[in-house]
Amino acid sequence: MPQTDFVKELPNGLVLLGHRMDHVASASMTGRLPIGSSHDPVGNEGAAAVGAEWWVRGAGDRDTRQLNEALDMLGCRHSESPGAEMMNFSAAQLARCLPDVMAIAADVVRRPRLDDENFAPSRDLAIQDLACLEDNPAHKVTIMTHERYMPFPLGRILYGSVESLKALTAECTREHLLGRLSPRGAIMAVAGRIDWQEFCDLAERHFGDWSADAPPPLETLPAKGGFEHVQKDSAQTHICLAHKSVPASDRRFEAARLAVTILSGGMSSRLFTEVREKRGLAYHVSTSHSKVKDYAGLFTYAATVPAKAQETLEVTVGELRRLGEGIEQEELDRAKTQLKSAVVMSGDSTASRSMMLANNWRLLGRIKTLDEMTDDIDGVTVEDILEYLAEFPARDFTAVVIGPEPLDMAAIQ
Amino acid sequence: MDFRQTTLDNGLVVLAEMNGDAASMAMGFFVRTGSRDETEDVAGVSHFLEHMMFKGTAARSASDINRELDDLGATYNASTSEENTYYYAAALPEHQDLLVDLLCDMLRPALRRDDFDVEKNVIIDEIARYEDLPHFKTFEKTLATYFRGHPLGNSVLGNNESIRAMTLEQMREYFQRRYSPGNIVLVAAGNLDFDGFVDLVADRCGGWQAFDVGRDLPPAPGLTDTVVMTDTNVVRQHIGVMSPAPSLQDDERYAAHVAATIIGGSTNSRLFYALVDPAIADMASMTYDGMDGTGGFLSYLSCDPHRAGEVMEIFRGELGKFMDAGPTDNELTAAKNQQAASWTLGSEMPMGRLMRIGFNWMYRRQHVPLDETIDRLLAVTGEEVLALVRTHDLLAASVFALGPIEEL
Repeated sequence: MPQTDFVKELPNGLVLLGHRMDHVASASMTGRLPIGSSHDPVGNEGAAAVGAEWWVRGAGDRDTRQLNEALDMLGCRHSESPGAEMMNFSAAQLARCLPDVMAIAADVVRRPRLDDENFAPSRDLAIQDLACLEDNPAHKVTIMTHERYMPFPLGRILYGSVESLKALTAECTREHLLGRLSPRGAIMAVAGRIDWQEFCDLAERHFGDWSADAPPPLETLPAKGGFEHVQKDSAQTHICLAHKSVPASDRRFEAARLAVTILSGGMSSRLFTEVREKRGLAYHVSTSHSKVKDYAGLFTYAATVPAKAQETLEVTVGELRRLGEGIEQEELDRAKTQLKSAVVMSGDSTASRSMMLANNWRLLGRIKTLDEMTDDIDGVTVEDILEYLAEFPARDFTAVVIGPEPLDMAAIQ
Repeated sequence: MDFRQTTLDNGLVVLAEMNGDAASMAMGFFVRTGSRDETEDVAGVSHFLEHMMFKGTAARSASDINRELDDLGATYNASTSEENTYYYAAALPEHQDLLVDLLCDMLRPALRRDDFDVEKNVIIDEIARYEDLPHFKTFEKTLATYFRGHPLGNSVLGNNESIRAMTLEQMREYFQRRYSPGNIVLVAAGNLDFDGFVDLVADRCGGWQAFDVGRDLPPAPGLTDTVVMTDTNVVRQHIGVMSPAPSLQDDERYAAHVAATIIGGSTNSRLFYALVDPAIADMASMTYDGMDGTGGFLSYLSCDPHRAGEVMEIFRGELGKFMDAGPTDNELTAAKNQQAASWTLGSEMPMGRLMRIGFNWMYRRQHVPLDETIDRLLAVTGEEVLALVRTHDLLAASVFALGPIEEL
């Protein structure tokens, strides 16, 4: 088998990752810059969120319109979004357009205009995004739970507050963003119909002479934890619970991932079966793993009509705990098949493969081939999962509830 | 891509596009039925029935189905719209036969009373879920406003009253009226063995009884109403706008895709520069929503409530300008390239191919290779786009607003 996965670190610290797929016509890129909302200065929370809006309003010789038009002409589907630890860029296009898109990407990454004129609308959009959360309680409850559960400021809401956004000026935001902009800690991943050497040559040409010091690392404070009820006359009561787990770099991570799959992986999963299928309590209930580097949690979300919320909460927590009491070999085999199958099928998608590479590097400091991923899954036993669950039992929850009435949280303690 | 097709004696059409390099295979049943084919007393039955398809057959219980799907490591789901109900799954090629056996069986559900009663609660909770998503509700109510009095205005989910009152017998009757093999197409895509596929499908589905299925296709009324639903619990002002557009059977649909992309399809669109770039609205988009025998341009706007009037004025101004002068050459090329790339990328996964083939057949009963579709798209001229928006007046629209404001 010819090599399909590649890593190269440029002398300036920029990490290039690649996965070659010969049966597709596209190439997708995922870029990550070491500018996260966690790094927002105190009093200026929301700087990275405004930054993600502001960043693509003109770069190099092009203004906003020229930049957007150039990318559309190349059939490039792109998006930019802030994250807790990094700013995310993605671009998917036909592989033959990749060299032209790379040239524009270099302008965007290294030479954003960040001009005064475009600052106010970028900040206003962040203020509106914050308000939009009120009209999406399912999303808001998850964000609020992250904020309480994660060490400060890792879970802090991306948009800050209206006050902190209004306190931002073009000068201070620009200074903060450019102060963290560095190839050290930056990642550029590509997957699709590529020639790795050509891609590296392109990257060298556009990014080789870029240099800056590594941005300072993040210092964190203990999490707030606890329970909170937000009163809202909503049609459903939205519940989010968090409890401790292991980060992706931990040897027990695959066991944790399989535990989540048994709980919430498909329609035969425990939560779906007990909460929805048998009792008809809720349309949606699920558990997922957080994706922050050094600190982990399992987040469980359920929503149902208010009259059934307490029962849904108790049945859900009951299932999280029952998992630690025993797992059938058949359940584990099924969970393994699901995860492995998803890994293999991702081999058809350039967008998901490039994102996986970038996530691997960010969370593990290395990439995993599709074969390695399936081998890791295969290596886990029922005992491994029970051992993990004994060490990280479903208790000491952090929880947020949005709905007309509070719930009795003593019932899950 | 190697395309094959066959039709069973009972009228079930089987289509497949094979790609031996793909890592997976996908398959799906597309049924030409949805909320537009419902009467008022069974509002929501198409979608409720979609849920019941996972609840067991003569040979399998609901938990058998769930377990078998997960045992195959399949990615699966189902969806119901105004016009279609479809059931689909993707799995590794080695599981082809097991997946075919399971999906074919699922399409002949047992419809057991206990399952029906429990699932009612899930549907009622699903209705509540969307009630908390004003963005979603705006889309549904915009269609209801534009198509009032026409079956396309029917809600897919139905409502609490219709779901509570629905009987199992009504659902059985609906199934027996709509799920004829001639009203269904089975599609497969990706890495699969076509002959083996057809043999097994013939064995499992060949006995399905055929009967006539129709669909009322009254002309769309094309209403130009404005409905304001005041809800002070909603924080943003959500506005949906719908105006006439070609149907999915019409060759003008290509020009319609291009027009919608230029007006509101990306960060390079007219609405983006007029409304989102200056932060007057946080969302301003337009899509072309083609349907059976009719169609609409569907726009969505979200903004601070006190700016709703200003947003509508700018929005109408942009549409007026576009109808006067049409697109620039650069806009036309950028929009076509963007749309072509999007279709190409969307077709790289077997699931994307499956959807394209399925919907092509549902609306036009033909297979068009992706290359030909893209060639036709790239041939769209500025004159075609201009002619289209002059015959389909973008301002002859219905408007639905949800949020704090009392009038618009």
